[in-house]
Amino acid sequence: MIDNECKSSKGVFDAVVTGNRQVGERFCRLGLEFEGAGTAAFAEAKPGQFAELNLIDSAVPLKDRIPEHLRDGAGRQILLRRPFSFCDISVKEEKCGVEILYGIVGPASLRMTTLSRGDTVSVMGPLGNGFWVPEDTKKAILVAGGMGAPPILHLAKVLTKDYAGIDVSAFAGAKTVDELPFERRLDKLSQGLGFSLGEFGKYGITSKIATDDGTAGYHGPVTDCLAEWLRENSIGGEGTIIYSCGPEAMLAKVAETAKEKNIECQVSMERLMGCGIGVCQSCVVECRVAGSNETIGKLCCKDGPVFDGKEVVFNI
Amino acid sequence: MSKEVDISVDFAGLRLVNPVFTASGTCGYADELADFMDVKCLGGFITKSITLKARKGNATPRIVETDSGMLNAIGLANIGLEAFVEEKLPVIAELGAAVFVNVAGERIEEYVAVAERLAGEQAIAGLELNISCPNVAKGGITFGTDPELVTEITSAVKKAAGEKVLMVKLSPCVTDISVTARAAVEAGADALSLVNTFTAMVIDAETRRAVLANRTGGLSGPAIKPMALYMVNKVYNEVAKDSGVPILGTGGIRTATDAVEFMIAGASAVAVGTWNFIEPDCTVKIVEGIKKYCVRKQIKNIKELVGSLE
Repeated sequence: MIDNECKSSKGVFDAVVTGNRQVGERFCRLGLEFEGAGTAAFAEAKPGQFAELNLIDSAVPLKDRIPEHLRDGAGRQILLRRPFSFCDISVKEEKCGVEILYGIVGPASLRMTTLSRGDTVSVMGPLGNGFWVPEDTKKAILVAGGMGAPPILHLAKVLTKDYAGIDVSAFAGAKTVDELPFERRLDKLSQGLGFSLGEFGKYGITSKIATDDGTAGYHGPVTDCLAEWLRENSIGGEGTIIYSCGPEAMLAKVAETAKEKNIECQVSMERLMGCGIGVCQSCVVECRVAGSNETIGKLCCKDGPVFDGKEVVFNI
Repeated sequence: MSKEVDISVDFAGLRLVNPVFTASGTCGYADELADFMDVKCLGGFITKSITLKARKGNATPRIVETDSGMLNAIGLANIGLEAFVEEKLPVIAELGAAVFVNVAGERIEEYVAVAERLAGEQAIAGLELNISCPNVAKGGITFGTDPELVTEITSAVKKAAGEKVLMVKLSPCVTDISVTARAAVEAGADALSLVNTFTAMVIDAETRRAVLANRTGGLSGPAIKPMALYMVNKVYNEVAKDSGVPILGTGGIRTATDAVEFMIAGASAVAVGTWNFIEPDCTVKIVEGIKKYCVRKQIKNIKELVGSLE
C-alpha cells in the first residue's frame, strides 16, 4: 500500500549496477541494487518519487557509438546529479532492486549508457513526494506521455498489487512509435481497451497507445484518445482518478479534461533541478492558493514532483 | 590520529570549530541538509538570502548546467524577514554552527531594516551582506560594483547590525576587486567573502534564445575556481593582510585540497557552494581532509596556512 503520510528516510547510497540494456533505439533500462541502509530507504520509495544519480565519473561512450545528433557536446564535463523516477522496485532477501528507464538525450544519459554490471553508482534518494491514493478510489486511469512512462509503470504495479478493489486502465502516448519507451511487444487482450502494451499487460492492465503521427495505435494526441474513451464509456465523477506524467502541455490538457469530468487528477511535473533536495530553489512550479487568486511557487523536487492537477498553473 | 589536530579558527572574533562554511543559497535556511549531514560539524552556515518582504523570484528555467559549472538566476526567491524570524530562527538556534544570515534588498533602507531586526537575535553570529547578486533588476550587484555605494551600504548596515559580525560578499564582476574590498573594509566590514558568481549566459543555438528565463545568470562551480583563487589572493595581499580583516574564500570548492588552496591564497575560512548539490555531505569530508593535510604537512595551527603562498 502507498502510505499517504509516511516520509521514507533518504540519503546518499552506493548502488551496484545489475544490468543496463537498450530498449528500442532511444531508451535504456538500468538495474540498480541496494543493500543495508539503501534497501531500507528504497524499499519504501513510492511511485513518482525520484533519485539523483551522480554520473560525473561515468565514461563517455566511444565516438562511433554516440548517435550523430548528440556528438556535439557529448564530451562536456557534466556537474550536477540527474533526477530519475523509478519504473520498478522489488525487494528480495535484504536487497532492493530499482529499475530506471531513461532516454538517451544528452551528455549525462550518454555517460549512463556505459554503466555495466558490477559498477557502483552514487544514488541520492528517495526524494520528493510520489502519487497518493485517495480513500474510496475505485477507478484509476494512468496516462503516460513520452518519457513520462516510468513512474506510471511503477504505479501500475503498486496499484494492481496492493489495491485489489481499484480498476486500472492505462494510456501511453508519444510523437511517434519510436518515442514510446517500451519494449516492442503488444499483447492482444480480448477485453477492456482491446489491446495492451506488454509492460502494462503483465500487471493485467489493459492499455491503449496513441501516436501523434499515427505510427502506432490511435492517430493523434493521447489526450484526445483519453477524452474520447471517457466520453464513450461515460466515465467521470467521484471515485475515479487520473494519474499522469509527461510533457507539461499534455499534463495541462489531462488536468483540464479531468476537471470537466469532475475526476480527481494527479500530475508528475518536470523542471530543471539543481539539487533535488529543496535548497537551490530552481525547480519552481507555480501553484494556486486554495480559496484565493494568489499563486505561490512550490518546489518540484520537495513539494512535488507529484501535484494535484487542480493546483498547478501550467507553464504552456 | 587526524582527530587530534586542532583546526579551529578565529574568524572576526568568532571562535569556529573549523574553517568550513556552507555558502548562501546552497544549504537552505536552516536544517535542509540535516538528512545528509550533521550541521554541527560545520564551522559556519550561511542562510539563503533574506529580504525584507518575501520574493517569488524569477521565472523558470532558473538553472542551467555548463562545462564544469552551472548558471543560476533564482532572483532572490525567499520567504521574507518575518517568516524567516518566525519559522526558521528557532531551528537555527538548535543548529550548533555559527550562523550568518545573508541579507539582500533593492534599497539600502531594506538592508538596514533586515539588519536591525536581526541584530538582537541570539541565534545568529553575523550577517553576510549580499551586494553581489547578479540576478535581480534592482539592488544586488549594482551596489557591489560601485565603490561609493559599497561604502554607503556597508556603513549603514554596520550601524544597524549592532554587535553582529558584518561580512560583505563581493562581486567578481569588477575591474579591480581590491577597490570594492577596500571600500567595504574602510566602511566597517568585519569580514569579506569572495567571490559571488560571475555573470554569464547560455544560448540555445537551435532556438536562438537564452536558456535562462532571466537571460543571464551567475556562474558557479569548479569552472570558476582559478578565478576565485586569484581574487582571494589579490584581496589578501592588497587589503586583508594589513587591515587584519579575514576573508571567507569561495568559488568552486569541492575537495579539501581546494579548501587548502584558498587558505594558502589568503582565506581564513572557506565556503562550499555548488558542490553541496552534488554531495550534500561534502563539507564533512572536507573538514576531515583538511585535518589529514595538516597532519601530513605537520601544521600545528591552521592559521599558519593562511596567506602562506610562496
